[in-house]
Amino acid sequence: MRSTSHLVIAYAFLWIAVAPLARADQLADIKHKGELVCGVLATDEPMSFVDPQTRTIIGYEVDLCKAVARKIGVTATLKQVAVAARIPELQQGRVDILGATLTHTREREAVIAFSLTTFVTGQKVMVRRDSGITTPAQLAGKKVVTVRGGTQEPNIRKAVPTVDVVTFETAPQALVALQQHKAAGFVNDEVSLFDAYSKLGPAQKDYVILPQNISTEVVALGLRKDEPALKAAVDGALRDLETSGEAEKLFFKWFGPGTRLQYQTRAFHIDSDRLAN
Amino acid sequence: MAQFDFSIVTTGEFRGWLVSGFLLSLRLTCITWILSLPIATAIALCRLSSVAMLRGAGAVFVEGIRNIPLLVHLLFWYFAMPELLPETARTWLYDHGAESICAVIALTFYTSSYMAEDIRSGIRAVPATQLEAARALGFGYLASMRRVVLPQAVRIVVPPLISQTLNLWKNTSITTVIGTAELMYQAQRVETASFRGVETFGVTTLAYLSVSLVITALALWFHHRFPVRAT
Repeated sequence: MRSTSHLVIAYAFLWIAVAPLARADQLADIKHKGELVCGVLATDEPMSFVDPQTRTIIGYEVDLCKAVARKIGVTATLKQVAVAARIPELQQGRVDILGATLTHTREREAVIAFSLTTFVTGQKVMVRRDSGITTPAQLAGKKVVTVRGGTQEPNIRKAVPTVDVVTFETAPQALVALQQHKAAGFVNDEVSLFDAYSKLGPAQKDYVILPQNISTEVVALGLRKDEPALKAAVDGALRDLETSGEAEKLFFKWFGPGTRLQYQTRAFHIDSDRLAN
Repeated sequence: MAQFDFSIVTTGEFRGWLVSGFLLSLRLTCITWILSLPIATAIALCRLSSVAMLRGAGAVFVEGIRNIPLLVHLLFWYFAMPELLPETARTWLYDHGAESICAVIALTFYTSSYMAEDIRSGIRAVPATQLEAARALGFGYLASMRRVVLPQAVRIVVPPLISQTLNLWKNTSITTVIGTAELMYQAQRVETASFRGVETFGVTTLAYLSVSLVITALALWFHHRFPVRAT
């Protein structure tokens, strides 16, 4: 009895002593275990979600995790994390890397590290095709419509300072105003715009969503701070994906034509871990 | 307990937004009022006319307009009416601030239908014998109206017209739904940008109230200065 409890205490001390050593280099640790544990939300289509047919977690970030693991030479293990708990899970070492639709922000840079930017989303402008407008800058001095109360109005004013903005109570009203030629452009969140666009039906041919974002939100993989070897390995793997064209293929697989979001172009590259401005 | 800081919305950029909204609200009120008065008078005269067709037209105008909510009027004049216009007229409208023009059109129709009824009741309050006496003296119908009946009717009509002006001033706030950048629109914009809802709408309320009180004071003053004469 007594010897057992001594053994437990000895074991505990051993762990306390060894654990920091084991974490001294997370990359070596991962290679040693042969698995990269990816924390994913599994609730956010198409970033990571449960496939209703196979009951497995799939998605853009899942594919990225698997690709990174392959480059490191290990297998990826998925672990579902909650939005609010994802950063603590990473900090406490229950996951090695976060692919949890994590927005890269300055505030978070204080607690965790970020890989290269893996996805960029933001607000965009829909215009009528016959207007000939191809960039947001061409909206200068023109009228745009949007929904009241969000960040759309300040963001388009920041992007195009001389633009004339008229806001409505609802996004559909603003869309009608665009359709009736009351404005040159309709500003909204990217996903909402694609949704509105898909509802236009046959009239889609008369409208274009400008590919440029007027404001951006960058998503990246989350890593523990002060693990330069792992960050270098992950960033290197992501860079390889970009140069081989595999990253682009993954993007179109989850966001491109044929998906619900129907992105026609990819407005970013996986090549930087810097936040703009 | 949140700290209220009114200086955020009464200085700098936000004050500029609110002031521009306030000025547009005043402009909408003034332009609508100037357009509504003659239209309302014409409609009232139509409704009092001996010609059945004019009476019918006047009744259709008044009942057709004041029985529909102002919000519906605004949405109609902004979203539906321009679609019925020929291309060039529509383009002109959109190039010249459709939000304000459509707001004025909707407010003018709405206000004049109410004003027409006030004017009509004012004219009817002048005893019929006044018109008959004028006609007996050889004045034509319009001349009798202009020289005898309307001057007496004005004293009766002005207080309810001032009350309609008060309604008009408050009704301008509804034009925010069609994107008219009046006071309410700018207040919502300031609230979104500043996260200072209480302060923003506090100041906005004060602005509406102060103009309303001025209009009310005007009504009281007129009532004292020009009381309705006993006939």
